[in-house]
Amino acid sequence: MKPTFSIVFFTVISGAGLGLLSLLALADVCPVDTLPKRAYTTGIALSLALIVIGLAASVLHLAKPSNAWRAFSRFRTSWLSREAVFAVALVGVVFIYGGVVAGGASGAIRVPIALLTSVLCCAVLLCTAMIYASLKPIRQWHTRWTPACYLLLGHWSGALALLALALTYEARPAPFVWLAIAIGVAALAVKLAYWNASTGATNAVTLERAIGVREGVHPPGKTVAQARLFDAGHSHGTFLTNEFGFVLARTYATALRAGALLLAFGVPAIAFSAGWLDAAIADVVACLCIIGLFAERWLFFAEARHTVRLYHGDART
Amino acid sequence: MKLGLVIDLDTCVGCHACATACKEWNASSPVSGPLSDYEPFGAEPSGVWFNRVRHYEVGEYPASKTINFPMSCMHCADAACVTVCPTGASYKREDGIVLVDQDKCMGCNLCAWACPYGARELDESSGTMKKCTLCVDRINDELLPPEERQPACVLACPTHARFFGDFDDPKSDVSRLSAARGGFGLLAELGYEPVNRYLPPRVPKPIVGLDDARALLERGLASLADPVIRR
Repeated sequence: MKPTFSIVFFTVISGAGLGLLSLLALADVCPVDTLPKRAYTTGIALSLALIVIGLAASVLHLAKPSNAWRAFSRFRTSWLSREAVFAVALVGVVFIYGGVVAGGASGAIRVPIALLTSVLCCAVLLCTAMIYASLKPIRQWHTRWTPACYLLLGHWSGALALLALALTYEARPAPFVWLAIAIGVAALAVKLAYWNASTGATNAVTLERAIGVREGVHPPGKTVAQARLFDAGHSHGTFLTNEFGFVLARTYATALRAGALLLAFGVPAIAFSAGWLDAAIADVVACLCIIGLFAERWLFFAEARHTVRLYHGDART
Repeated sequence: MKLGLVIDLDTCVGCHACATACKEWNASSPVSGPLSDYEPFGAEPSGVWFNRVRHYEVGEYPASKTINFPMSCMHCADAACVTVCPTGASYKREDGIVLVDQDKCMGCNLCAWACPYGARELDESSGTMKKCTLCVDRINDELLPPEERQPACVLACPTHARFFGDFDDPKSDVSRLSAARGGFGLLAELGYEPVNRYLPPRVPKPIVGLDDARALLERGLASLADPVIRR
């Protein structure tokens, strides 16, 4: 699949904002309230900015944005429509939540709104992931690891941002460090599981299967006919080859995976184990993690192979 | 109703007449609008097509075979492109035809991602998704003589490798032809229930190997000599 920058940007930046807001709202609900009020208002404003900037970027990939408002109309069937509805609902709820926090309202109002905010953040992350996970023609995406990755990677970058926020406002860092470590380990595990599932091709489809070549035209002694593309029927690029024909060299893929792992997980691991609990360092670590997630998300698209590629000559998906 | 096509891989010669006839008819389609071309006279011409013909070689020489393979929308019974569409632009008609409402499409490409057959192509000029309409503006046009109320690709095919009809009717030509020749739908394992049926190429005659060349030669000489000897 061709990696579109606006989509990569949207999923990473909005993902970080959603993760931060989700954890911030949960921290608000937890009985151990260690964050000062300023941290909440700043955190809510920051996550809202990230979410809205990401959503705005996502509109850029539409070929006809003037019809984007219609995307709210198919909530019952389309994950993209669900994502749009939940995202807009979340933005509305965040304003209420921000007002409640700024106004210093009591727990009876604050707790349900905080919980609703957190649930909506997870819903948006899950809907984004399900857009990809529901596509059967792309077997790398059509797995349960896709929603797990989006949910946990969003919360992982959010947890690092929350730690930076806690350190900036001089809260006790220990609970936020342990929260980040717990989410980080889980996020790394599901991402590695995703990569493992996408390279082990147990459910791959072959060109022979795609064109329905059966017995009768196979060479003597072979049960499956060896098929290959003779001519694609067009002399230059088409929508299909542009959109689905993206090929990533294996050496680049390996280097990018290593870079993504180093920036998104290696750097925070080093910072935690060295005990660098400083606001400025935590900011840098969170930013490097997001850069690493850009590489991870770019690879998510670049390494996915659509079934239509078989008809253009690929031997298998 | 379950309208669709039967495509005979045994008789298709890969001439692209179906694809060009489709392009010609639908260039002025009131349903989908024109099929835009990009740089049609430039160095790298490209454009929107509803139907593309690809060519495959199957098996090892000398027992190999060329299969010409036209592909257009399969008008799936369980069309994922319609399910994923967030705007409601993609829809399925009562007669089974899958269409895109050009006024509603926002060009997000998700339906093209959901289609394993590459049946949908984004028109860069209009910013909307375009696809085979099964010539819905031909097949229902009562001003046309009945024999011409068929998709342009079917009418254009010079080898009669394409047939149009209702698969819900077991007595229709397409249903009987598909049943008689073992017609199959592409990538049935994905569960989209594609309606179009492909008729497999017939089993080719066995090709004589090099080891049999001597026997063949003797048989050939014998057949030439026989009439002389008999006389």
